[in-house]
Amino acid sequence: MTHLQEELKSLRESLTDMADLVQKQIKKSICSLIDKDEDLANEVLFNEKRVNALELKIDKDCENIFALLTPVAHDMRFVFATLKINADLERIGDYAEGIAQLVLLGKKAFDENLINELDLRNMYDVAYAMLEDVTNAYSDDDSKLARSVFARDLQLNEINRVASDIVIEYSKKNIERMKEALLLLSIIRKLERVGDHITNIAEEVIFHKEAKILKHGNKGEELR
Amino acid sequence: MDYKLEAKNANLWYGNKQALKDITLSIEPNSVTAFIGPSGCGKSTLLRCFNRMNDLIEGSRIKGEFLLDKANIYKDIEVYDLRKRVGMVFQKPNPFPKTIFENVAYGLRINGINDKKLLAEKVEWSLKNAALWDEVKDNLNNSALSLSGGQQQRLCIARTLAVEPTVVLMDEPASALDPISTAKIEDLIYELKNKFTIVIVTHNMQQAARVSTKTAFFYLGELIEFDETKKLFTNPEEEKTQNYITGRFG
Amino acid sequence: MSKSNQRKSRIVDKTFKYIGLAFTVFALLVLAVLITDILIKGLTRINWSFFTNLPSRHAANSGILTALAGMLSLLFFTILIAIPIGILAGVYLQEYGTNNKFAKFIEINIANLAGVPSVIYGILGLTIFVRLFGLGNSLLAGAFTLALLILPIIIVATREAIRAVPGTLREASYGMGATKWQTTRRVVIPSALGGILTGIILSISRAVGETAPLLVIGALVYVPFIPEGPNDQFTTLPIQIFNWVSRPQAAFITNAAAGIIILLLITFILNGIAIYIRSKWYKNIKY
Repeated sequence: MTHLQEELKSLRESLTDMADLVQKQIKKSICSLIDKDEDLANEVLFNEKRVNALELKIDKDCENIFALLTPVAHDMRFVFATLKINADLERIGDYAEGIAQLVLLGKKAFDENLINELDLRNMYDVAYAMLEDVTNAYSDDDSKLARSVFARDLQLNEINRVASDIVIEYSKKNIERMKEALLLLSIIRKLERVGDHITNIAEEVIFHKEAKILKHGNKGEELR
Repeated sequence: MDYKLEAKNANLWYGNKQALKDITLSIEPNSVTAFIGPSGCGKSTLLRCFNRMNDLIEGSRIKGEFLLDKANIYKDIEVYDLRKRVGMVFQKPNPFPKTIFENVAYGLRINGINDKKLLAEKVEWSLKNAALWDEVKDNLNNSALSLSGGQQQRLCIARTLAVEPTVVLMDEPASALDPISTAKIEDLIYELKNKFTIVIVTHNMQQAARVSTKTAFFYLGELIEFDETKKLFTNPEEEKTQNYITGRFG
Repeated sequence: MSKSNQRKSRIVDKTFKYIGLAFTVFALLVLAVLITDILIKGLTRINWSFFTNLPSRHAANSGILTALAGMLSLLFFTILIAIPIGILAGVYLQEYGTNNKFAKFIEINIANLAGVPSVIYGILGLTIFVRLFGLGNSLLAGAFTLALLILPIIIVATREAIRAVPGTLREASYGMGATKWQTTRRVVIPSALGGILTGIILSISRAVGETAPLLVIGALVYVPFIPEGPNDQFTTLPIQIFNWVSRPQAAFITNAAAGIIILLLITFILNGIAIYIRSKWYKNIKY
């Protein structure tokens, strides 16, 4: 194995670690909502520092690889993709932190019925599976798996789209619980954004593997 | 820290021309140190001080200390012994017009080793370390000049390794080779640092970046900056270094 | 440049080429005529007894046995004397003495010696070896004289061959901790051997044809015996030919022609070997 290959391998491992960490953050943030577990939410807030530190380390690694080993062709795309995926993961980490903060604001007073009506559990399940798949797609260079997330992102969008009306209807009926309802709406918004970042990651995996650019609406045929 | 090689306030003149100006630097064992800088900056000169190859140049004069394992290279160590401990690989592949085997065995033979079994063992060990064994093991009695340029250079590395030096100096070892051969030499250097201390002079900054752990930048006989390669190539302290590695001068 | 000028210079160019060709052809033609003439005269004379017969007053019974044997023994001793001295001197001058005045002085003198007419060497040999050392007109005296004659050639060839050994090879050897002597013996001389051998063979082919210095030191014209030791008197093929040519009888001229053919053959073979070694060596060694 050449020096460059060694460095790329360890970069891939670092980013996979980062993805695992972010997955755990998302999982814990949603679990803290569903299980009404404030300790878990606090843990998410605490771990956010680790996510940030890991992001900086991966950025530095990419910088060193570019400066010292001048990768070209698919090696270069790999480092670029990793750099961008790193930023996306960090944002997902931020959303996990945001969700945890919203959960703490809600003080365990969320209405189970509303959560069910908003389909939030399902939304989380889909988003989490997408995150898992896109992580595996990255670590195994599996562009087919990466493509599988695009269609599922539409589910998240749909849940998000109908959420506003549901919350409005609910608020009209339960005016005293409007705050919790709005917090839940914010959580759904954040999960929707998580989905968007996951599709960005999928695009980068495909860019690395196939040198195809799917950004900015070029993935029409991918969805068909 | 027990440094392998050190230069302390080292100066060198060729006649009236001062080629090295008050250089102080220390090289750690089992590392790759790259010397970079524009032509005539003194990087090769400093390299050649460490095994006294400058002695062969008439009118060269030194001041200051050069140390190998804390011993003064110019006072405490006999020159022939020094060159056995500090081997050198040159810019152009320069195998002797002998067989592959005899090229590698040369250093052993001049040390009076003629035992066939021992020679064969050492030759194999050296060729394996130089990543050449698999390519030549069936043709050890062919002329070294029948090899390609890249193979010849690896043969020269094997020849240097055969006497088991602790330090290997390399003076632009890949500058006369094609890119594939260069890549092989670079990977080899990267591997060799596990067993040897390596100092490499190169005109190719990417090469320095790829293979070295620390990099020294020289300009007009002065040591401008000496730091971790990662640091020097991503965020150098000195503006001269920055300008040189970004190709703005030199 | 104008067009007519261009045409003019092209014509000059072509004319020169054809003049050169004409002279070359002329020179070769003369050589061819000479060789043909000699072949016609001498070829029929060459048979086995020509090699095995002693010289005789009768042209038909004369042979070159003693001349051939004398020449071979003379060359043997010449080589024995000249090669070690020549190579060592060449190595010294090129590897060790490049920067002292003594070596520079010797260098100039050797270059001059190579241009001295061979008869002068004969006189030198007569004074020093024949008279001063009291060797008489023996094989040894002749060998010393010829050795002196070819030494400059060997020295110059050795130096040229050693100079052609790239400095990078020496550097490589020094870089491994070799001493100067180890470097010279194990790297420089083996690498230069092709050139040195070529020089030696060419110098031998020069010695083969020499007559004048040998006459001066008193090589015999008529020797009815084969030399048995270094102190014996001797004759050589060129002297034998010289002797036959000076006879009035036509039959001896034929003998001379036959002798010349043998002499030419020996020279050509030696030169051929030299060319072979050179080309073979340079094919194997590319720096």
